[in-house]
Amino acid sequence: MENKIKWETEMKAAKKQARFENKPVLLDFFNPG
Amino acid sequence: MDAVTYPDKNVIEFITKNIIPLRVPYNLEPLATDFTIKWTPTLVVLDKNGKEHYRTVGFLPPEELIPSLLLGIAKVHFELDQFKDAISNLEKILKDYPKSGAAPEAVYLHGVSNFKTTHERKPLKQAYERLTKEYPQSEWAKRALPYRLL
Repeated sequence: MENKIKWETEMKAAKKQARFENKPVLLDFFNPG
Repeated sequence: MDAVTYPDKNVIEFITKNIIPLRVPYNLEPLATDFTIKWTPTLVVLDKNGKEHYRTVGFLPPEELIPSLLLGIAKVHFELDQFKDAISNLEKILKDYPKSGAAPEAVYLHGVSNFKTTHERKPLKQAYERLTKEYPQSEWAKRALPYRLL
């Protein structure tokens, strides 16, 4: 199992992966500080 | 989220298995405007075409994030008329996280999803009865009040 979350950083790539894996997307808006 | 929730082993396992994680700064355009982002953290659950179905604002500990995401995934399925998949995710909340903040809404949506599947009123009344018994102070117990008459 992964030891950290592997975040996508671009919507286009995330949607492509979501369609490929047939999963929803978690979009996290964060404050990088 | 970075200090407590995202490093949690169960959270990593859940997200890796169930959802595609996408992270962007709160002011990244056009997403910030498209999703009307005013505070962080804001977590949004989208379907695979990018349409929003659920959001939550503010910190969540691991034992709340997982059921919150299960509810979000269930809402994706529910709003796409995939009621059996919605029910499956809702039942995970009720089985594994019955004390979570997501649980009362899960009971409500479970009843509605079963009604949508069976077209019988009984699941709605069962949802009302469970909410009044197990979550009497929740807003979802109030929302289910009309189902007491079924």
